[in-house]
Amino acid sequence: MQALFALTRANIRSYTRDRAAVFWTLAFPLVFIVLFGLIFQGSGSTRLTLGWVDADGSPAAVKLQAGFEALQGITLVKTDRDGAIDDMKVGKVDSVIVVPAGYGASLEAAQSGAGAPGQVEVYTDPSRPQLQGSVYQAVGTVLGIVNLGGKPPLVVPSPQTVQTENLNAISYFVPSMLGLSIMQVGIFAAIPLVADREKLILKRLAATPLRRWQLVGSNVLMRVLIAFTQAIIIVAVGSLLFGVEVVGSLILVAAFVTLGAMAFLALGYVIASFAKTEDSANGMTSMIQFPMMFLSGAFFQIDQMPQFLQVVARLIPLTYLADALRQVMVGGAAFAPLWVCAAVLLGWLVVCFGIAARKFEWQ
Amino acid sequence: MSASVATGSVIEVRGLVKRYGDLVAVDGIDFDVAPGEVFGLLGPNGAGKTTTVEILEGLRVPDGGRAIVLGLDVASGAEAIKPRIGISLQTASMYPKLTVVEIIDLFRSFYTTSRPTDELIEMLELGERRNARTKDLSGGQRQRLAVALALVNDPELVFLDEPTTGLDPAARRSLWDLIKGLKARGRSVLLTTHYMEEAEVLCDRLAIMDHGSILEHGTVDSLIARRFQERTVRFDTSEALPDPALADLPAVSTVKHDADATLLYTTDVAATVGALLALAESRGIEPQNLGIRRATLEDVFLDLTGRALRD
Repeated sequence: MQALFALTRANIRSYTRDRAAVFWTLAFPLVFIVLFGLIFQGSGSTRLTLGWVDADGSPAAVKLQAGFEALQGITLVKTDRDGAIDDMKVGKVDSVIVVPAGYGASLEAAQSGAGAPGQVEVYTDPSRPQLQGSVYQAVGTVLGIVNLGGKPPLVVPSPQTVQTENLNAISYFVPSMLGLSIMQVGIFAAIPLVADREKLILKRLAATPLRRWQLVGSNVLMRVLIAFTQAIIIVAVGSLLFGVEVVGSLILVAAFVTLGAMAFLALGYVIASFAKTEDSANGMTSMIQFPMMFLSGAFFQIDQMPQFLQVVARLIPLTYLADALRQVMVGGAAFAPLWVCAAVLLGWLVVCFGIAARKFEWQ
Repeated sequence: MSASVATGSVIEVRGLVKRYGDLVAVDGIDFDVAPGEVFGLLGPNGAGKTTTVEILEGLRVPDGGRAIVLGLDVASGAEAIKPRIGISLQTASMYPKLTVVEIIDLFRSFYTTSRPTDELIEMLELGERRNARTKDLSGGQRQRLAVALALVNDPELVFLDEPTTGLDPAARRSLWDLIKGLKARGRSVLLTTHYMEEAEVLCDRLAIMDHGSILEHGTVDSLIARRFQERTVRFDTSEALPDPALADLPAVSTVKHDADATLLYTTDVAATVGALLALAESRGIEPQNLGIRRATLEDVFLDLTGRALRD
């Protein structure tokens, strides 16, 4: 046991003194979280630029314009109808609002109870649903005041509604990044392993009374400890900066962090079994890391991927680790039931460990 | 244990064979190492020294023959042997980001009994570098760390594979003293080297290896005496001492010239030197740079293989 702990301590020291390893496993996922978090937050305080076309010119139309201008975060660009649509097509404005000729007259008629309600044309791009929502929300707010005859509204939409939508994006992302960083910790173990073999350190250790299970055990211990450190940092950053709270069981989170770290460490041993040099271990790690990163649903939801990529996504372990963490941490919708996630990770662990046990060379 | 008591050897090798594909690295060798002895395997690179040592350390499995270390067969008893031996590999390298002290402490944790870290650091003169990371050590310092790690468990038997390769002369001499110190404490040492001077200074007995076979073994003196009964008297060539006159001196068998020196091969150094000095005095000169040299292991190796050791 003494040897196991001493070796674990030595491994951790080597790791913390290796800046590249610390960056890829600890800093890289954190940079991602903060970056994406800021992007999602930026889209939260939506600023809208609206093309404003007043084809009516009545006092009622001017009053309507004033209503829009009074809203926070709204900029109006006054132009004619064709110009406004062109501006929207090239992205100069987010949406176009047209007050048609006769607006003032029909509004008066409607107020006196005779005739159809006045109409305001709202042009939006349905492929940008979030923006579309924001435009309709602004239009609804202003027209609500008009519909009340200019009196202040009795109920106003709460700005928190917008923020909740954004939290969904970041709360999808935080557990995904935890899964991603656990993958990094596991598979990146291949590089020091191959380096130690190349330097004949593993051979030298083989001539001491140290047993192989102690050598592997110290690696497992060290990698699981790092995975827990990551989990604590990522959960803390998610909670403090972005308000993503762990809603599920902390014990389940810990269980999946441990299982994930071990499964990916086993994959790291498989890489180290086939890579002869430190450079080839580096290459193989990247070759596995990047596809896994993008196909696991950590960045893109799996059901939005093309069919054939979905098949790949269903095979890779990160999909199930990220999915399980999302379910347990933020109550995310399940891609697969938790027991399936656990079973798939365990399967990868057993298969990879089996391959490594046969193929891994110590000298 | 019973086997080692019975044979009295710390290492007993019989008919040991190791093949790598078609290459026969070790070709049926036999030797014994007695307790408290420094035993050398001398030979050029590729002779099979390292393979032999690594079989004895339990790092390689032999294809034939038997190797008994500390009374235990390496084929079945490797795990019981490991706590009692210390090794230093030919290519010494360690965790690059750990310091000297950290690595010694790590290795101490592998053994139930171990020498204090500071004692090892002092023995190997690594004091000034104790907190240096191993990647920042010089080649010689790394070599000394490797030897320190071989001594961590105060082993009964130490394997040192080319321990002084890459050391400067001063460091080499202090490592020689260390090995003599091990012997003085009753430890046994198996060392490989291709420095014949090292073998002559350190080894009680040695085996000369080439192409996987042991050509001859014994003490340094017996190896030399077995082939070279004559000694060599050398001095700077002088016109006052022509070859025919020298050939007539007592006990001289041959006169040879090597660059500026004249070499007299003799079976009786005292008679030859006395007559040489008398002859020189009668001609009014004094032989310059007069010296007596016996044959060396280098000469033995040359005689055995027809090649110089360092080729």
